[in-house]
Amino acid sequence: MTLTTPAVRVARLGVRFGDRVALHAVEFDVAPGEFVALAGPNGSGKTTLLRALLGFLNPDEGAVELFGAPVADLSIRERARRVAWVPQEESLRDDVRLSQYVLYGRYPHLRPMDRETETDRALVARILGEVGLADRANDGILSISGGERQRAILARALAQRTPLLLLDEPTSHLDIAHQLDLLGRVHALSRNEGVTVIAALHDLNLAARYADRIIVLSRGRRIADGPPRSVLSEDLLARVWGVDAELAVDSRSGLPYLLPRRLVTETRPSSSTLTAGPVHVVGGGGAGAPLLRGLIDEGFRVTAGALHLLDTDAEAAESLGVVAAVEGPFAPLSPATRAHHRALLSEARVIVVAAFAVGPSNLANLEDVLPYATRTPVVVVDQTPGTPIDFAEGRATAAREALRTAGATFVPDTDSAIREVVRVLAGPRADPSLLTPEG
Amino acid sequence: MSPPPGSVRLRRWWIGVAIGAGGGLLVLLSALLGAVDVPVRLGLQILLHEVSGGRVFPDACVGSGLSPTRCSAYTFIVWNLYLPEVLLALIVGAALGLSGASLQGVFRNPLADPFLLGISSGGTLGAAVIYVYHIGVADADLYLPAFAFLGAVSTGLLILTVARGRYSSVETLLLTGVALANLLSAILSLVLLYNPAGSEQVTFWLLGGLGLADWEVDGIAFGSVLALGTLLSLYGRELNLLQLGSDVAQSAGVDAARVRLKVILLASLVTAVAVAFTGIIGFVGLVSPHIVRRLAGSDYRIVLPGSAVIGALFLLGARDISYLAFPGSLLPLGIFTAFAGVPFFLFLLYRQRRFAPMGGG
Repeated sequence: MTLTTPAVRVARLGVRFGDRVALHAVEFDVAPGEFVALAGPNGSGKTTLLRALLGFLNPDEGAVELFGAPVADLSIRERARRVAWVPQEESLRDDVRLSQYVLYGRYPHLRPMDRETETDRALVARILGEVGLADRANDGILSISGGERQRAILARALAQRTPLLLLDEPTSHLDIAHQLDLLGRVHALSRNEGVTVIAALHDLNLAARYADRIIVLSRGRRIADGPPRSVLSEDLLARVWGVDAELAVDSRSGLPYLLPRRLVTETRPSSSTLTAGPVHVVGGGGAGAPLLRGLIDEGFRVTAGALHLLDTDAEAAESLGVVAAVEGPFAPLSPATRAHHRALLSEARVIVVAAFAVGPSNLANLEDVLPYATRTPVVVVDQTPGTPIDFAEGRATAAREALRTAGATFVPDTDSAIREVVRVLAGPRADPSLLTPEG
Repeated sequence: MSPPPGSVRLRRWWIGVAIGAGGGLLVLLSALLGAVDVPVRLGLQILLHEVSGGRVFPDACVGSGLSPTRCSAYTFIVWNLYLPEVLLALIVGAALGLSGASLQGVFRNPLADPFLLGISSGGTLGAAVIYVYHIGVADADLYLPAFAFLGAVSTGLLILTVARGRYSSVETLLLTGVALANLLSAILSLVLLYNPAGSEQVTFWLLGGLGLADWEVDGIAFGSVLALGTLLSLYGRELNLLQLGSDVAQSAGVDAARVRLKVILLASLVTAVAVAFTGIIGFVGLVSPHIVRRLAGSDYRIVLPGSAVIGALFLLGARDISYLAFPGSLLPLGIFTAFAGVPFFLFLLYRQRRFAPMGGG
């Protein structure tokens, strides 16, 4: 096998179950020795993809190659010598000795009448040692703990001595210590013995911790692929999983990690159906989106502006049903847009100004707030030290300071801003009719 | 906390020796047991005389004071009635044990047995049809087992047809078998309802018995069960892996669908042989594999041949109990397999101390 032969080649793979498209034109290569994490929400096609790699299903389109050979052309026994599978769990009914169970993995290497040799037994003993189960070799598979059983399943798969290992959510039944333990062992195998690993993993932090590469599937398509730090983003989490998450970088390892906060869409009603408020958010470049979501979560009708088309905040506003004053991409704000924006500002009961980057094209956003600051409560999210947001030669900073002078409340972050709005409009959800505009 | 593997092997070996010795003794004594009592010493002399071709005990009845006529009558009873019956019990018991073990393995279900899946009922229906409609009645001795065999095999094939279907899961298959068994019973009841004349003979198949045993029947049954059983026993390793689920088995190199087809086919055939000669004898196929698993663990390479041995001894034991409990009467064997099997089965099932598979008990 030459280095140029990929361990796995997936070529325009398409799988349908009836009308449902499970995989659509999925295409990628996996190099020998790579540790690839498959990520994606439930139903995104991870398991289907793994099953296609195992040759369990006949794709409707495309093909899968394992080490240069089409899976469909390999006999079941030949496949089992190239790829081993660690399922989420195995339904074990009969109690068999652990060493016997792991010995099952030798099946593809034995001819029909063969008995297992001493070599096979020695190999099994070594593998049991590798997965930390040497002292359990004579125990029944049903008598060991869940964490040990998952390692036993791994050991059984390893006994097949395949250059490729597929794992389907191997850690979903394990506690955090056993998750780290199992994936650590798999990771070591990939490092030390050059075993190629493809693992479907729900836990993106674990995926980022162990995988060289993360492939993200969504609705049967491969929508992101690359090293963890370039693939994982707050935007991806929101788009693919519908989860509002915070992405940070672990200072020691330099690896990204995610802190999920709440669902983006599923439990959130469209802004237009809400009656409390309205609250107007001035933002841009993504700084406003968390405010939009957070305020809608609190039950407020939200407006926004003025945003540029294709801007992250503009897309968030659209998906959330937020009425917004919108300008064409990258264009300076036109008089019409500014008029629309002012109309929204005048209707608002509270105006929230995000810590958004201000350049010449959207400076007007900030300046237009000032006239309203005297009669409408304004909450301003302070800029984070070290993250410059004034790209308009000091005029943005000046506009923000003018707001402070006009009585605006400055808060350190998005969450404080939302709390402040709730405080100002206290009890909006209880009875909006009791509310009177401040001023 | 567990014994080393060596002691496991030793334990298995002792169990094997105990079963072998006990079984041999049981076979010998059983050959003296039947509708007519045969004195133990006389019976053993007759057996040795016949087996050695007259070299040992040239006079089989020496020392018994029997007249030559009565001696030859006893010889006939022991050699041509009891012994073939004993051997048929062993052969059919082995067939049912094997069939039960392999079906439980392939369906991953401890309740699976040829009776549950309708294979036995299919055999009875085959026998009933020929009796009731007088097909080939001239040579009923030959046609009856043949049709029982056909009935059982076609039922097995019907289940197999479902098994080949694209959407067949193990559960669908099992349920198909159960549904089929019910349908066959209903058809059988219908046939008998409209033809009460044939029902008496058909009852033989319904309740099971060793009445057809003779050296020729034994020969046919032995040959076919030996061949089919040997083939079935080759699937021990595959059945072990199938216990982990079809997908896991396949990922480990087992062609699950093909193994399933072959094992169901072989199990149907071996059941059909049993049903053809002895009718429906329940419980042997269900219980034997469980006994083996309790004694020697769940490795199908042992469970398959082990179930044959236990099934054989179990059916022989049931036959003996029927003679001991009701001397002189020939009650259907199926009744006794249930009477003997159910309490023992429940005892095993509910016993606190489990025989751990690998000697941990």
